[in-house]
Amino acid sequence: MRTKPERQAAWLMVLPVVLVVAFSGVVPLMTVVNYSVQDILDVDTRFFVGFDWYRDALRDVRLHEALWRQLVFSFTALAIELPLGILVARCLPRQGRAASLLLVLCAIPLLVPLNVVGTIWQIFARGDIGMLGAAINGLGIDYNYTREPLHAWMTLVAMDVWHWTSLVVLLGFAGLSSIPPAYYQAADLDGAGRWQVFRHVELPHLRAVLLIAVLLRLMDSLMIYTEPFVLTGGGPGNTTTFLSQHLATIAVGQFDLGPAAAFSVIYFLLILLLCWLFHTLVVAGAERDDA
Amino acid sequence: MLELTDVRLQPHTPPMNAMLGGGEIHVVLGANRSGKTLLARCLAGLASCASGTVRLDGTDITRLDAGRRPVALVNQAFVNYPAWTVRDNLVSPLHARGVSRAERQHRAMQLARQLGLQALLHRYPHELSGGQQQRLAIGRALAKDARVLVMDEPLVNLDYKLRESLREELRGLLAETGAVVVYTTTDPGDAFSLASHVVLFAGHAIVQTGAPMDVYRHPVNFVAAALMSEPTVNRHQVRGEVWALRPEHVRLARPKDAPAREFGLRVEEVETNGAHTFVHGSVHEESWVVKLDGMAALPPGEQVPVYARERDILRFPNGAG
Amino acid sequence: MRASGTSCVFPTVRGSVASVQLEDVTFRYPGATADTLQTLSLVVGNGTTHALLGGSGAGKTTVLNLLSGLLQPTGGRILMDGHDIGGLPAARRNVTQVFQFPVLYPAMTVLENLCFPLRNRKWKPAAARERALAMAEELDVSPLLDRRPSTLTLFERQLVAIGRALVRPDVGLVLLDEPLTAVQPELKWRLRRALRRVQRDLGVTMVYVTHDQTEALTFAERVSVMHDGRILQTASPVDVHDEPAHEFVGYFIGSPGMNLLEARVESGMVYVAGTRVGGTVLADGDYRMGFRAQWAAVADAGLPASVRGVRYDGVVDDSPVGVLRATVADKEVYVRHAGLAPDGPMHLRVNRFILFREGWRAN
Repeated sequence: MRTKPERQAAWLMVLPVVLVVAFSGVVPLMTVVNYSVQDILDVDTRFFVGFDWYRDALRDVRLHEALWRQLVFSFTALAIELPLGILVARCLPRQGRAASLLLVLCAIPLLVPLNVVGTIWQIFARGDIGMLGAAINGLGIDYNYTREPLHAWMTLVAMDVWHWTSLVVLLGFAGLSSIPPAYYQAADLDGAGRWQVFRHVELPHLRAVLLIAVLLRLMDSLMIYTEPFVLTGGGPGNTTTFLSQHLATIAVGQFDLGPAAAFSVIYFLLILLLCWLFHTLVVAGAERDDA
Repeated sequence: MLELTDVRLQPHTPPMNAMLGGGEIHVVLGANRSGKTLLARCLAGLASCASGTVRLDGTDITRLDAGRRPVALVNQAFVNYPAWTVRDNLVSPLHARGVSRAERQHRAMQLARQLGLQALLHRYPHELSGGQQQRLAIGRALAKDARVLVMDEPLVNLDYKLRESLREELRGLLAETGAVVVYTTTDPGDAFSLASHVVLFAGHAIVQTGAPMDVYRHPVNFVAAALMSEPTVNRHQVRGEVWALRPEHVRLARPKDAPAREFGLRVEEVETNGAHTFVHGSVHEESWVVKLDGMAALPPGEQVPVYARERDILRFPNGAG
Repeated sequence: MRASGTSCVFPTVRGSVASVQLEDVTFRYPGATADTLQTLSLVVGNGTTHALLGGSGAGKTTVLNLLSGLLQPTGGRILMDGHDIGGLPAARRNVTQVFQFPVLYPAMTVLENLCFPLRNRKWKPAAARERALAMAEELDVSPLLDRRPSTLTLFERQLVAIGRALVRPDVGLVLLDEPLTAVQPELKWRLRRALRRVQRDLGVTMVYVTHDQTEALTFAERVSVMHDGRILQTASPVDVHDEPAHEFVGYFIGSPGMNLLEARVESGMVYVAGTRVGGTVLADGDYRMGFRAQWAAVADAGLPASVRGVRYDGVVDDSPVGVLRATVADKEVYVRHAGLAPDGPMHLRVNRFILFREGWRAN
């Protein structure tokens, strides 16, 4: 089909966005790549070191540990948030005033700024004055997230679940609302049980929405920084130090710009790789099924 | 006058040439997915055709934006402004044209009266029935006073009875506008009851044009014969020729006044709607349907002789469509 | 009386056929101010096809939902094979439904879809498979068994959906909610044929809801015409067409609908706008005269009319046939006509008519 002149004008409209993305995304990224191949002693003294920083970073035990913790954290959070979110979405009424009210209530955690979430939980989980911490201690369980790594982990996961399950609930609710009532009626007449309705009617219709939910939550949790920083500061010890915080420690704490830059590039590639894997294995697979 | 010169909807579809006069209703009759909607969108300026020229009263409008074309479009879906009342929906196209305030009120009231919406002026679209919503959409299109009015299967989503009555009303309304009306449909009944000029459409191109009765009597090929037949046309293959027999031309008794041909119809199903009986069956492996007046009982599963007058049989050379 | 999930109180109706009876059923949606259904009575015979025909808002879908168990009647009784099934949940009635658009389980193959209702009722896999294969054979969908619904055409999907609805041998009543809506016009009769064949072979009772008169009259042995929550007439397709019991039935059925003119009866004679059109045994008074387009003809004498236009729909025996649009006493009427249309003033002879009083048939 021949392109109309108006269509070319449309490209011009997109140009500003392209420029903004270039300056905000690509240029800084290239700067980081530039840093990652140099040893920078001060502003005027820098040497080209090739891939040395990359080699060091890949051999860095602390990075391995942070990466491992990161993956465990991300998948744990996902494994809880996804089923929980769908469960909550299923329990919500489909329409009416109650539905709107509950949805708004659900969405509240999403509106809280990240550092405020950290602060809320930092106080909430404190053994002495925090409601949660004090309550647990009151039950006779010795709970202290600043001292016990396990407690710190559980608190972090609980915080993430509190913060982000709503997103899955909202997406799931949208997906469930789009299922025509005839499907439920047919399943009822076919003698399908609750589980079968979920498995054969709801889940297939939710697939597209769930893929988006998984992708969003995976990317987001891999980049988590503010909340654990505020809540545990990576401690006790390094037990809750995730990739981004490890990076901040090198870059800002120790001001090792070269290694930090190399690490950044690896970090970036890692997230890219995971998302690509997810896309090719799950999303493209799903599309193939449809074709 | 809307003039299509060598218009191709897609790069490899045949070119179309047509002169569509003002004050006439041109019914574009084609099967589903034959490209009717694409044609409608091209005329409205919402899609571009692959090549060719569209002229309106001599002016080339091929590359003109939808917003600048003097064209109004009515869709299958009932498209109105949901946040506006019926009155505001009718006034808005007038407002956009810069019609004076008094004139706007007058014209909106007039349209509402013509479309039977005068009692509903302060309702919102979602408070209207499907038929009323589509009336409003038609009213908005008429309010534009466009020189071309494109209607893409406007009645397809309405109840059967509503469709019938709105179609009757439309004929009068559309004739008054003086615009070039292009009305797409799959129903030959629409062509017979609305059209002053029929455009048979298949494979993204025009097959035949003409007055409804001419197109019915003298189809240029089998496809044209099938399009103008309700529910479909019967096919019979003979050496070198394809015959098309309209359901109403096949009968159970041998005609006495004219030479006729006999076929063996294996009856599969007999359906009636009170006024007519449709006998579905097969002749030489081809699906046939016979339309009889009134009620008739035929035994399913048996072979019965049916007859068609020689001069009712439409004969086409093999391979021509 | 309402069931609380006890199987002993409400026996599951067994057997593969079912008669259905609605006795003075009323229904009102919670919070509504008017009844959606008003004292509705209906008998659907064992193993027959029955159509509920009406415009939107007539209440036909409500009747369907009452039969399927999705809704419970506000008053009256619903009997299946003589048993009151009010309060019995959907899964425990021998009822199944085919919807407007094909409802299939998207992640299952056609075969799995067909087996699903059987597997839910604890059928052995081999037996379920055998039954599903037989059903696929019946509906000519055997070549599609390993495909997924998303790869099928709408027509094929609806065939499979019908198969899944009917695969249980204990199903007695099949509810069809405008099942041809999504199917292309030229394939509709094939689906109707498939439905009727299955109906004959399995001997099930079918209740078919539609707003399309052609579908109702061509599909069903008996038709109920609904309007405003009431059944105006239940009769054979020929009778609802030729012998309407109510003006609305006459108007709603037939294309074009029945012509209606104000008439007066005086000492056994029927007058329209001062012209005598025929005789009657009815008492003197004001009536409305209804006649179908094919019951009247252009004549030298009779009702004075003037031609407004003509809509030809074909040529039979070398003369164009169609419908004349004319006005009689300022009212528009339609008359079936063969040959070229007369011009201007003419007369109509009404060969057959029905007199209505306050909507209902009087003669």
